[in-house]
Amino acid sequence: MTSPDTAVSSAASERTKPHVPGELGIWCFVAGDLAVFTVFFVLIALGNGDQAQVFAQSRASLELWIGVLNTLLLLSGSWLVATAEERCRESVQSGSGPDARRAALQFALAILTGVLFVANKSLEWGIKIAHGITPATNDFFMYFFVFTGIHLFHVLIGLGVLIALRRVSRRERLDSKALRTIESGATFWHLVDLLWIVLFALFYLI
Amino acid sequence: MNGSDTHSGKDHLFYRSMRFCGWSGVAAVTFFIIGGMILGGMLPPLLSPDDTAAEFARRVSEHVVAIRIGSVFLILSFALFGALAAGIAAQTRRFEKAPAFSYLQLMFGACGTAVAVLVAFSWALMSFRPDEYDPTVVQVLIDFAYFLALFSVPVFSGWCLVIALPILFANEGEEPFPRWVAFFNLWAAVLYAPGLMILFFKSGIFSWSGIVALWIPFTAFFLWILVMSWGILKGAESARG
Repeated sequence: MTSPDTAVSSAASERTKPHVPGELGIWCFVAGDLAVFTVFFVLIALGNGDQAQVFAQSRASLELWIGVLNTLLLLSGSWLVATAEERCRESVQSGSGPDARRAALQFALAILTGVLFVANKSLEWGIKIAHGITPATNDFFMYFFVFTGIHLFHVLIGLGVLIALRRVSRRERLDSKALRTIESGATFWHLVDLLWIVLFALFYLI
Repeated sequence: MNGSDTHSGKDHLFYRSMRFCGWSGVAAVTFFIIGGMILGGMLPPLLSPDDTAAEFARRVSEHVVAIRIGSVFLILSFALFGALAAGIAAQTRRFEKAPAFSYLQLMFGACGTAVAVLVAFSWALMSFRPDEYDPTVVQVLIDFAYFLALFSVPVFSGWCLVIALPILFANEGEEPFPRWVAFFNLWAAVLYAPGLMILFFKSGIFSWSGIVALWIPFTAFFLWILVMSWGILKGAESARG
């Protein structure tokens, strides 16, 4: 017979056991994507070194508030996704699904932050193009449009992923397979956030 | 499990066919390295899209023998994509009750093979009579080859997507390939995307001679072939008699 003490300690060791969210595959994807973006970051840095003056002048013409707003949007989105993920995890562990409805709401709000990011980015590009600034203007703007464009492509994929996660979280009962899907999808969204933070620093701040 | 006799049954002919398909992928990469990299001047690119037409004709004439021999290896390499495509679809088919994704894979694989074979045709043709053709024709043929290889994003990304989805949708233990292979395919699908940019840039990192639009998609693609070849060979093991 298990004494209450050992039951408690085994539950505690269950909780302290390191948990890797999602599955191996999504981390392969994250590592692969980070490797490629690292190449992008190096290319931007090299351009910055070669044409310091062009880059500095062009950077000064970017609207910092738009970049800051986009960073805040993605950070809030990541926070919402992380809390929703936590709720789903709790509901799988407790075997009941009372929190799942709130998780679905948080996923919906995270989707909203993503949509606002896309709107804000379009506004930023629209303003630039209206002022006659395009990827052909100089190397800074070529990198700016293309690399933030590739990132925007990730955001659009991420929005599709979040829509799928919201649907999964609305299921009657969440099992460990559903949780794995939610954790893998959430990991992708955090990657989108992380990549933006580096791009934001490289294009707007340095 | 009603599926178990289909995907763990011993079938020596199937095992041998799959070995052929898997090793075809490895051969395709080897032939590409010989034909496209060592001899043909496709990667690293012999020319850049902002070179003049006269420069295109001159460089091709200079390397004409190497390019011709390289083109033979290129078409051998690209034709083998068909065997790779069949191997991937056959492995996926073993785990389906009714065929769906395996058909999609064959569609994309056949289309991808056709596009790739045309790359080799275009490469061979430019070396056929570079001194007699108008220099702009040589330029068009090289542009055409890179557009076939790089601008064909939806064909190759779509192929990766329809390989990834049946793995991700499968029940535990009934995946045609290991689950990480699905994520590898999604990664490759994303990496081909910058190829679309070659239409908009004639110089720099986003042009057809640049690191982002040429090197990254090509590296991802040939790595992808090796991973899928491994997947086919591993899948074949369960049918070994």
